[in-house]
Amino acid sequence: MTDWLGMSVPPRTPRPELKGRVLARAVARGRRWPLALAAALVVVTAGVGSAWWAYRTIEALGADRDRLAAHVAALEDTVSSFIHDPATRLIQVPVSTGGRVGSVTIFADSVRHRWLVRCDGLAPNARDQAYQLWFVTDQGMRPAAVMPMDRDQPMVMGLPLPQAGERVTGAAMSIEPRAGSLSPSGPMVFHVGL
Amino acid sequence: MRRLKARDEHALRELYDALAPWVLGLAYRILQDEDEAEEVVGDVFVKVWRHVHRHDPRRGPLVPWVLSITRNRALDELRRRRRWWRKADRLGQAQGPEEQLENPAPHEAAVPGWPLHREVHAALASLPDELRRVVTLAYFEGLSHSQIARRLQQPLGTVKTRLRAAHQKLTDQLAHLKDWLQ
Repeated sequence: MTDWLGMSVPPRTPRPELKGRVLARAVARGRRWPLALAAALVVVTAGVGSAWWAYRTIEALGADRDRLAAHVAALEDTVSSFIHDPATRLIQVPVSTGGRVGSVTIFADSVRHRWLVRCDGLAPNARDQAYQLWFVTDQGMRPAAVMPMDRDQPMVMGLPLPQAGERVTGAAMSIEPRAGSLSPSGPMVFHVGL
Repeated sequence: MRRLKARDEHALRELYDALAPWVLGLAYRILQDEDEAEEVVGDVFVKVWRHVHRHDPRRGPLVPWVLSITRNRALDELRRRRRWWRKADRLGQAQGPEEQLENPAPHEAAVPGWPLHREVHAALASLPDELRRVVTLAYFEGLSHSQIARRLQQPLGTVKTRLRAAHQKLTDQLAHLKDWLQ
Protein backbone atom coordinates (compact mmCIF):
# COMPACT_ATOMS: atom_id res chain seq x y z
CA MET A 1 0.00 0.00 0.00
CA THR A 2 2.99 2.28 0.33
CA ASP A 3 2.81 2.47 -3.47
CA TRP A 4 0.24 5.20 -3.00
CA LEU A 5 2.40 7.25 -0.64
CA GLY A 6 3.78 9.27 -3.53
CA MET A 7 0.33 10.79 -3.81
CA SER A 8 0.68 12.29 -0.35
CA VAL A 9 3.08 14.87 -1.74
CA PRO A 10 1.50 18.07 -3.09
CA PRO A 11 1.69 18.27 -6.87
CA ARG A 12 3.99 20.73 -8.59
CA THR A 13 2.99 22.34 -11.82
CA PRO A 14 5.70 21.58 -14.39
CA ARG A 15 7.07 24.40 -16.49
CA PRO A 16 5.19 24.41 -19.81
CA GLU A 17 8.32 23.76 -21.89
CA LEU A 18 9.05 20.58 -19.95
CA LYS A 19 6.17 18.75 -21.58
CA GLY A 20 7.47 19.07 -25.12
CA ARG A 21 10.96 18.10 -24.03
CA VAL A 22 9.85 15.05 -22.07
CA LEU A 23 7.44 13.74 -24.69
CA ALA A 24 9.93 14.27 -27.51
CA ARG A 25 12.54 12.37 -25.53
CA ALA A 26 10.19 9.50 -24.69
CA VAL A 27 8.92 9.10 -28.24
CA ALA A 28 12.39 9.49 -29.74
CA ARG A 29 13.63 6.66 -27.57
CA GLY A 30 10.76 4.53 -28.73
CA ARG A 31 11.67 5.26 -32.29
CA ARG A 32 15.27 4.29 -31.83
CA TRP A 33 14.51 0.63 -32.30
CA PRO A 34 13.41 0.98 -35.92
CA LEU A 35 16.42 3.19 -36.55
CA ALA A 36 18.75 0.73 -34.87
CA LEU A 37 17.14 -2.08 -36.84
CA ALA A 38 17.58 -0.16 -40.07
CA ALA A 39 21.18 0.60 -39.20
CA ALA A 40 21.79 -3.06 -38.41
CA LEU A 41 20.23 -4.06 -41.71
CA VAL A 42 22.45 -1.61 -43.56
CA VAL A 43 25.51 -2.99 -41.80
CA VAL A 44 24.51 -6.58 -42.51
CA THR A 45 23.71 -5.77 -46.13
CA ALA A 46 27.01 -3.99 -46.54
CA GLY A 47 28.81 -6.92 -44.94
CA VAL A 48 27.10 -9.47 -47.17
CA GLY A 49 27.72 -7.27 -50.21
CA SER A 50 31.38 -6.91 -49.34
CA ALA A 51 31.73 -10.63 -48.78
CA TRP A 52 30.00 -11.33 -52.10
CA TRP A 53 32.22 -8.77 -53.87
CA ALA A 54 35.34 -10.27 -52.27
CA TYR A 55 34.20 -13.76 -53.24
CA ARG A 56 33.59 -12.73 -56.85
CA THR A 57 36.89 -10.85 -57.04
CA ILE A 58 38.84 -13.78 -55.67
CA GLU A 59 37.04 -16.08 -58.08
CA ALA A 60 37.85 -13.79 -61.02
CA LEU A 61 41.48 -13.44 -59.97
CA GLY A 62 41.73 -17.19 -59.59
CA ALA A 63 40.36 -17.66 -63.11
CA ASP A 64 42.87 -15.08 -64.43
CA ARG A 65 45.68 -16.87 -62.63
CA ASP A 66 44.65 -20.22 -64.12
CA ARG A 67 44.37 -18.68 -67.59
CA LEU A 68 47.79 -17.06 -67.31
CA ALA A 69 49.32 -20.26 -65.95
CA ALA A 70 47.92 -22.16 -68.95
CA HIS A 71 49.26 -19.48 -71.28
CA VAL A 72 52.71 -19.64 -69.69
CA ALA A 73 52.70 -23.43 -69.92
CA ALA A 74 51.83 -23.17 -73.62
CA LEU A 75 54.61 -20.66 -74.15
CA GLU A 76 57.04 -22.91 -72.32
CA ASP A 77 56.03 -25.76 -74.61
CA THR A 78 56.49 -23.53 -77.63
CA VAL A 79 59.89 -22.31 -76.46
CA SER A 80 60.93 -25.80 -75.58
CA SER A 81 59.95 -27.09 -79.00
CA PHE A 82 61.79 -24.20 -80.58
CA ILE A 83 64.92 -24.85 -78.67
CA HIS A 84 65.02 -28.61 -78.87
CA ASP A 85 63.61 -29.18 -82.32
CA PRO A 86 66.30 -30.62 -84.67
CA ALA A 87 65.11 -28.18 -87.35
CA THR A 88 66.00 -25.19 -85.19
CA ARG A 89 69.20 -23.32 -85.83
CA LEU A 90 70.78 -21.33 -83.07
CA ILE A 91 72.44 -18.06 -83.95
CA GLN A 92 74.04 -16.09 -81.17
CA VAL A 93 75.24 -12.57 -81.92
CA PRO A 94 77.36 -10.62 -79.44
CA VAL A 95 76.42 -6.94 -79.46
CA SER A 96 77.77 -3.77 -77.93
CA THR A 97 75.35 -0.99 -77.06
CA GLY A 98 75.91 2.10 -74.98
CA GLY A 99 79.31 0.87 -73.90
CA ARG A 100 78.06 -2.47 -72.65
CA VAL A 101 78.25 -5.94 -74.12
CA GLY A 102 75.19 -8.08 -74.62
CA SER A 103 73.87 -10.70 -76.97
CA VAL A 104 71.02 -11.49 -79.30
CA THR A 105 70.10 -15.16 -79.58
CA ILE A 106 67.98 -16.35 -82.51
CA PHE A 107 66.31 -19.73 -82.58
CA ALA A 108 65.40 -20.07 -86.29
CA ASP A 109 62.76 -22.75 -86.90
CA SER A 110 62.85 -23.64 -90.60
CA VAL A 111 59.82 -25.95 -90.32
CA ARG A 112 57.38 -23.53 -88.71
CA HIS A 113 58.99 -20.52 -90.35
CA ARG A 114 59.28 -18.72 -87.05
CA TRP A 115 62.07 -17.19 -85.05
CA LEU A 116 62.35 -16.98 -81.34
CA VAL A 117 64.58 -14.06 -80.44
CA ARG A 118 66.07 -13.33 -77.04
CA CYS A 119 67.96 -10.14 -76.29
CA ASP A 120 70.25 -9.88 -73.28
CA GLY A 121 72.35 -7.02 -71.99
CA LEU A 122 71.14 -4.36 -74.41
CA ALA A 123 71.45 -0.81 -73.13
CA PRO A 124 68.10 0.91 -72.56
CA ASN A 125 67.05 3.17 -75.44
CA ALA A 126 66.85 6.92 -75.38
CA ARG A 127 63.28 8.07 -74.85
CA ASP A 128 62.59 8.68 -78.58
CA GLN A 129 64.41 5.61 -79.89
CA ALA A 130 63.94 1.84 -80.11
CA TYR A 131 65.81 -1.19 -81.28
CA GLN A 132 64.45 -2.54 -84.55
CA LEU A 133 65.12 -6.09 -85.76
CA TRP A 134 65.29 -6.75 -89.48
CA PHE A 135 64.99 -9.85 -91.64
CA VAL A 136 67.70 -9.78 -94.31
CA THR A 137 66.14 -11.32 -97.43
CA ASP A 138 67.19 -11.76 -100.98
CA GLN A 139 64.90 -8.82 -101.78
CA GLY A 140 66.25 -6.46 -99.20
CA MET A 141 65.68 -5.60 -95.51
CA ARG A 142 62.23 -6.33 -94.13
CA PRO A 143 61.03 -5.04 -90.70
CA ALA A 144 60.79 -7.90 -88.19
CA ALA A 145 60.00 -6.15 -84.86
CA VAL A 146 60.39 -2.84 -83.07
CA MET A 147 61.68 -3.32 -79.54
CA PRO A 148 61.57 -0.22 -77.35
CA MET A 149 63.75 -1.04 -74.39
CA ASP A 150 63.22 1.24 -71.43
CA ARG A 151 64.59 -1.03 -68.76
CA ASP A 152 67.66 -3.13 -68.47
CA GLN A 153 66.14 -6.57 -68.69
CA PRO A 154 66.06 -9.51 -71.12
CA MET A 155 63.45 -9.54 -73.87
CA VAL A 156 62.01 -12.60 -75.64
CA MET A 157 59.69 -12.57 -78.66
CA GLY A 158 58.41 -14.90 -81.34
CA LEU A 159 58.49 -13.66 -84.96
CA PRO A 160 56.81 -15.09 -88.06
CA LEU A 161 59.08 -15.04 -91.11
CA PRO A 162 58.17 -12.96 -94.18
CA GLN A 163 55.80 -14.31 -96.81
CA ALA A 164 56.87 -17.33 -98.85
CA GLY A 165 58.93 -16.34 -101.84
CA GLU A 166 61.33 -14.29 -99.82
CA ARG A 167 64.29 -16.21 -98.61
CA VAL A 168 65.68 -15.01 -95.33
CA THR A 169 69.43 -14.94 -95.48
CA GLY A 170 70.27 -13.05 -92.31
CA ALA A 171 69.24 -10.77 -89.50
CA ALA A 172 70.10 -7.25 -88.47
CA MET A 173 69.33 -4.79 -85.69
CA SER A 174 69.49 -1.02 -85.78
CA ILE A 175 68.52 1.87 -83.59
CA GLU A 176 65.50 3.67 -85.07
CA PRO A 177 62.90 6.23 -84.06
CA ARG A 178 60.55 4.85 -81.47
CA ALA A 179 57.73 4.28 -83.99
CA GLY A 180 60.02 2.15 -86.17
CA SER A 181 61.18 2.59 -89.78
CA LEU A 182 60.38 0.94 -93.07
CA SER A 183 64.10 0.54 -93.77
CA PRO A 184 67.17 0.90 -91.59
CA SER A 185 68.10 4.57 -91.08
CA GLY A 186 69.91 4.64 -87.75
CA PRO A 187 73.09 3.11 -86.33
CA MET A 188 73.38 -0.64 -87.01
CA VAL A 189 73.79 -2.79 -83.88
CA PHE A 190 74.56 -5.98 -85.78
CA HIS A 191 74.15 -7.49 -89.22
CA VAL A 192 74.67 -11.20 -89.55
CA GLY A 193 74.13 -13.83 -92.25
CA LEU A 194 72.58 -17.20 -91.51
CA MET B 1 -3.64 1.78 -20.79
CA ARG B 2 -4.66 -0.02 -23.95
CA ARG B 3 -3.83 3.05 -25.99
CA LEU B 4 -0.46 3.35 -24.29
CA LYS B 5 0.30 -0.27 -25.05
CA ALA B 6 -0.79 0.37 -28.63
CA ARG B 7 1.92 3.08 -28.80
CA ASP B 8 -0.59 5.91 -29.05
CA GLU B 9 1.44 9.07 -28.54
CA HIS B 10 -1.71 11.05 -27.71
CA ALA B 11 -2.28 8.69 -24.81
CA LEU B 12 1.22 9.44 -23.55
CA ARG B 13 0.46 13.15 -23.81
CA GLU B 14 -2.71 12.67 -21.78
CA LEU B 15 -0.86 10.60 -19.22
CA TYR B 16 1.70 13.36 -18.88
CA ASP B 17 -1.02 15.94 -18.33
CA ALA B 18 -2.58 13.78 -15.64
CA LEU B 19 0.51 12.60 -13.81
CA ALA B 20 3.37 15.02 -14.43
CA PRO B 21 2.43 17.30 -11.49
CA TRP B 22 2.45 14.30 -9.15
CA VAL B 23 5.64 12.86 -10.59
CA LEU B 24 7.36 16.22 -10.35
CA GLY B 25 6.03 16.75 -6.86
CA LEU B 26 7.32 13.42 -5.63
CA ALA B 27 10.68 13.79 -7.35
CA TYR B 28 11.08 17.26 -5.93
CA ARG B 29 10.06 16.05 -2.48
CA ILE B 30 12.88 13.49 -2.60
CA LEU B 31 15.55 15.52 -4.36
CA GLN B 32 14.74 19.07 -3.25
CA ASP B 33 16.13 20.30 -6.56
CA GLU B 34 13.96 21.55 -9.40
CA ASP B 35 16.38 20.66 -12.21
CA GLU B 36 17.05 17.19 -10.90
CA ALA B 37 13.34 16.63 -10.38
CA GLU B 38 12.60 17.64 -13.98
CA GLU B 39 15.27 15.26 -15.16
CA VAL B 40 13.58 12.49 -13.23
CA VAL B 41 10.24 13.40 -14.81
CA GLY B 42 11.80 12.90 -18.24
CA ASP B 43 13.29 9.57 -17.23
CA VAL B 44 10.02 8.37 -15.74
CA PHE B 45 7.94 9.04 -18.84
CA VAL B 46 10.60 7.51 -21.07
CA LYS B 47 10.50 4.39 -18.91
CA VAL B 48 6.73 4.30 -18.78
CA TRP B 49 6.53 4.64 -22.57
CA ARG B 50 9.10 1.93 -23.16
CA HIS B 51 7.96 -0.53 -20.50
CA VAL B 52 4.24 0.02 -20.28
CA HIS B 53 3.73 -3.51 -21.58
CA ARG B 54 5.34 -4.78 -18.37
CA HIS B 55 2.62 -3.27 -16.22
CA ASP B 56 0.12 -5.87 -15.15
CA PRO B 57 -3.22 -4.25 -14.17
CA ARG B 58 -4.03 -7.32 -12.08
CA ARG B 59 -1.11 -6.52 -9.81
CA GLY B 60 -2.03 -2.90 -9.25
CA PRO B 61 -3.26 0.33 -10.78
CA LEU B 62 -1.19 2.45 -13.12
CA VAL B 63 -0.65 5.48 -10.89
CA PRO B 64 1.17 3.65 -8.07
CA TRP B 65 3.30 1.92 -10.70
CA VAL B 66 4.34 5.27 -12.15
CA LEU B 67 4.93 6.67 -8.68
CA SER B 68 7.12 3.72 -7.74
CA ILE B 69 9.20 4.31 -10.87
CA THR B 70 9.47 7.95 -9.90
CA ARG B 71 10.51 7.16 -6.36
CA ASN B 72 13.12 4.61 -7.41
CA ARG B 73 14.56 6.91 -10.05
CA ALA B 74 14.70 9.87 -7.67
CA LEU B 75 16.33 7.81 -4.93
CA ASP B 76 18.87 6.47 -7.44
CA GLU B 77 19.69 10.03 -8.35
CA LEU B 78 19.99 10.94 -4.72
CA ARG B 79 22.43 8.11 -4.06
CA ARG B 80 24.34 8.47 -7.29
CA ARG B 81 25.27 12.05 -6.66
CA ARG B 82 26.65 11.18 -3.28
CA ARG B 83 24.87 14.01 -1.64
CA TRP B 84 22.72 11.74 0.35
CA TRP B 85 23.57 12.93 3.77
CA ARG B 86 23.71 16.59 2.83
CA LYS B 87 20.33 16.45 1.21
CA ALA B 88 18.93 14.34 3.98
CA ASP B 89 20.07 16.93 6.50
CA ARG B 90 18.56 19.66 4.38
CA LEU B 91 15.36 17.69 4.14
CA GLY B 92 15.36 17.17 7.84
CA GLN B 93 15.65 20.89 8.38
CA ALA B 94 13.31 21.99 5.63
CA GLN B 95 10.59 19.40 6.00
CA GLY B 96 9.56 18.08 9.30
CA PRO B 97 6.56 15.85 9.73
CA GLU B 98 4.57 19.05 9.91
CA GLU B 99 5.08 19.62 6.21
CA GLN B 100 3.00 16.58 5.47
CA LEU B 101 0.10 18.32 7.10
CA GLU B 102 0.37 21.70 5.44
CA ASN B 103 -2.64 22.91 3.56
CA PRO B 104 -2.18 22.98 -0.19
CA ALA B 105 -2.64 26.11 -2.25
CA PRO B 106 -6.21 26.42 -3.51
CA HIS B 107 -5.32 26.30 -7.20
CA GLU B 108 -3.77 22.87 -6.78
CA ALA B 109 -7.19 21.38 -6.15
CA ALA B 110 -7.79 21.65 -9.87
CA VAL B 111 -5.04 19.14 -10.58
CA PRO B 112 -6.38 15.74 -11.70
CA GLY B 113 -6.12 13.23 -8.88
CA TRP B 114 -6.55 15.81 -6.18
CA PRO B 115 -9.17 13.87 -4.18
CA LEU B 116 -6.90 10.88 -4.12
CA HIS B 117 -4.07 13.08 -2.86
CA ARG B 118 -6.29 14.30 -0.08
CA GLU B 119 -7.02 10.75 1.00
CA VAL B 120 -3.42 9.62 1.00
CA HIS B 121 -2.33 12.81 2.68
CA ALA B 122 -4.97 12.33 5.35
CA ALA B 123 -4.00 8.70 5.87
CA LEU B 124 -0.37 9.66 6.37
CA ALA B 125 -1.30 12.55 8.62
CA SER B 126 -3.41 10.30 10.74
CA LEU B 127 -0.47 8.13 11.64
CA PRO B 128 1.14 8.73 15.02
CA ASP B 129 4.28 10.82 14.72
CA GLU B 130 6.65 7.94 15.43
CA LEU B 131 5.07 5.84 12.71
CA ARG B 132 4.91 8.67 10.20
CA ARG B 133 8.55 9.46 10.81
CA VAL B 134 9.77 5.97 9.95
CA VAL B 135 7.52 5.81 6.91
CA THR B 136 8.80 9.15 5.68
CA LEU B 137 12.42 8.15 6.12
CA ALA B 138 11.90 4.83 4.37
CA TYR B 139 9.76 6.08 1.52
CA PHE B 140 11.04 9.54 0.73
CA GLU B 141 14.66 9.17 1.72
CA GLY B 142 15.15 5.55 0.79
CA LEU B 143 16.72 4.61 4.10
CA SER B 144 17.07 0.98 5.08
CA HIS B 145 15.73 -0.23 8.39
CA SER B 146 19.14 -0.09 10.02
CA GLN B 147 19.79 3.39 8.65
CA ILE B 148 16.49 4.57 10.08
CA ALA B 149 17.41 3.01 13.38
CA ARG B 150 20.69 4.88 13.41
CA ARG B 151 19.07 8.12 12.34
CA LEU B 152 16.38 7.95 15.02
CA GLN B 153 18.67 6.30 17.53
CA GLN B 154 16.07 3.61 18.00
CA PRO B 155 16.52 -0.17 18.23
CA LEU B 156 16.26 -1.89 14.86
CA GLY B 157 13.43 -4.06 16.13
CA THR B 158 11.47 -0.99 17.11
CA VAL B 159 11.89 0.49 13.65
CA LYS B 160 10.72 -2.71 12.01
CA THR B 161 7.73 -2.92 14.28
CA ARG B 162 6.77 0.66 13.59
CA LEU B 163 7.13 0.23 9.87
CA ARG B 164 5.00 -2.88 9.96
CA ALA B 165 2.36 -1.11 12.00
CA ALA B 166 2.39 1.92 9.73
CA HIS B 167 2.13 -0.28 6.68
CA GLN B 168 -0.86 -2.07 8.15
CA LYS B 169 -2.66 1.17 9.01
CA LEU B 170 -2.04 2.63 5.57
CA THR B 171 -3.20 -0.55 3.92
CA ASP B 172 -6.41 -0.45 5.89
CA GLN B 173 -7.07 3.17 5.01
CA LEU B 174 -6.05 3.12 1.37
CA ALA B 175 -7.22 -0.29 0.22
CA HIS B 176 -10.20 1.19 -1.57
CA LEU B 177 -8.16 3.57 -3.72
CA LYS B 178 -8.39 3.27 -7.46
CA ASP B 179 -6.79 5.13 -10.34
CA TRP B 180 -8.68 8.16 -11.49
CA LEU B 181 -7.26 7.44 -14.93
CA GLN B 182 -9.28 5.37 -17.37
